[in-house]
Amino acid sequence: MHPLYGTTAVAGIDLRQYRRGASPLPEQGVLVEAILAACADACFDPAEVDGFVSYGDDKNEPVRLMSALGTRELRWSTTIWGGGGGGIAGAFGLAAAAIISGQASAVIVFRALVEGSSGRLSAAVMAHHLNDHMLAAGVVAPAQVCAMRANRLYQHHKVPEGVAAELVRASYYHGARNPDAIAYGKPFDPDQIAASRWIAEPFHLFDCSRENDGAGAFLLVSAERARDLAQPPVYLLGCANGAEKGWGDLLENDDAALYPTAGFRPIARRLFAETGLTPADIDVVQLYENFSAQGVASLIDHGFCNYENVAEVIRFDNLIAPSGRLPVNTGGGNFAQGFIHGIGTAYEAVKQLRGQSANPVPGARLCLLAGGPGAPTVSSAIFGNIVP
Amino acid sequence: MSMSEGIDAPYWSGLATGRLLLPRCVGCSRWLWPAVSRCGQCGSGDIAWTERAMMGTVFSWTRTWHRFALTEGLELPFISAVLTVDDCGIRLLGRMDDPERIDPVIGEPVHGRVGMTEVAGRSIPTIIWSRG
Repeated sequence: MHPLYGTTAVAGIDLRQYRRGASPLPEQGVLVEAILAACADACFDPAEVDGFVSYGDDKNEPVRLMSALGTRELRWSTTIWGGGGGGIAGAFGLAAAAIISGQASAVIVFRALVEGSSGRLSAAVMAHHLNDHMLAAGVVAPAQVCAMRANRLYQHHKVPEGVAAELVRASYYHGARNPDAIAYGKPFDPDQIAASRWIAEPFHLFDCSRENDGAGAFLLVSAERARDLAQPPVYLLGCANGAEKGWGDLLENDDAALYPTAGFRPIARRLFAETGLTPADIDVVQLYENFSAQGVASLIDHGFCNYENVAEVIRFDNLIAPSGRLPVNTGGGNFAQGFIHGIGTAYEAVKQLRGQSANPVPGARLCLLAGGPGAPTVSSAIFGNIVP
Repeated sequence: MSMSEGIDAPYWSGLATGRLLLPRCVGCSRWLWPAVSRCGQCGSGDIAWTERAMMGTVFSWTRTWHRFALTEGLELPFISAVLTVDDCGIRLLGRMDDPERIDPVIGEPVHGRVGMTEVAGRSIPTIIWSRG
């Protein structure tokens, strides 16, 4: 069995989320509160945390958190490379790597984002990649890069554009029923998508995730230790991170077959091979959707459907809890739960497996967390409330 | 790093004189883009910057309507595209004329001319592509 399989577990979680620009505290303050609350959730002494992992160019270097947290000794302080959200699931793999190799024993996975402290996320992500070739073409935002890939997916590979709206609608359906979501209590009419203003064709405003302030924190410990803590353990069963040849930061020169994908083909191959699981074993998916088409491409890459049958699988009725066969983004996802660089999708993965989701999937045991699609390096993970 | 110092400096100096120069591995004849210092396929470090005509086909495109920061020099909406250059297969990012607001078609032939994009007080040469 692969060393990551069921050997570590999420023992404590917290997410605090505010409207963009409305955080009551600076970024580091919100993050410290989230970490303390995640430890409290597990009944774990925060001073005992000895490792930290983030992704997406988070600006909060862990050593600077030590005073506020009372950290006794920092032993693992790392981040997944990349400016986008592609690394979110990989961050859990990196934390687990520290624990199973004995380099740390209690690791916090986190992401914090407060506009007043760090500026706009979209600008920061793009600054990671921008060059004169892009600037000269007027390509300055993630939405535009993803839009070009979406047009290729729809126009060349003939994926029906309507499936994207099904996905958006499912996220808003769940968000409207989640008291912690930005869309809570707001009815959503799918016609709103096409009626909203253009951003970059084929994307309307509602095809795009919109930023929030906030922070999310997850306490990862060994599976054995997690069983002695306050919450039911949510086990990490597998994690893969990276990119294959023909994909990456290539000035749009990715291999033609990979260009319209979200970059997850090698990730899904490894993740399922190393866990011995298949897409059919997955009970619920938390899907990072920066943009609607990339969410669709991610589901295709992970083997839930293909270019031919995508419209049969990515249907609103099939994507919603409790009745759909492929419930996706049961908290509302980045679109409707809120967007703190995707950390909310990991939060919902744990809530769902603890049976604490606002939109519970009956009997859910396994949850796939798919990281930021379309990023030069991407990652995914599978969590379980059992180790099958 | 300035345009005259980067590994793709010959591309920019070529555009400044109205020519499209692209890097090709002398060892195995592969076209290499983005520009690199070594061919990862054959291991050669011998790269020849070779002229190609500004002719190609549309690989993909988007028409931008939102005023993103750094696009202030462009009139909305504008088309950004990925174009496959004929006789080499390299794809370039560029802009496309959009006078009639007719959607580009993937695979349709285009020809380019050198233009400029104003970005935050800087003029960056770029190829502007037209149908036919």
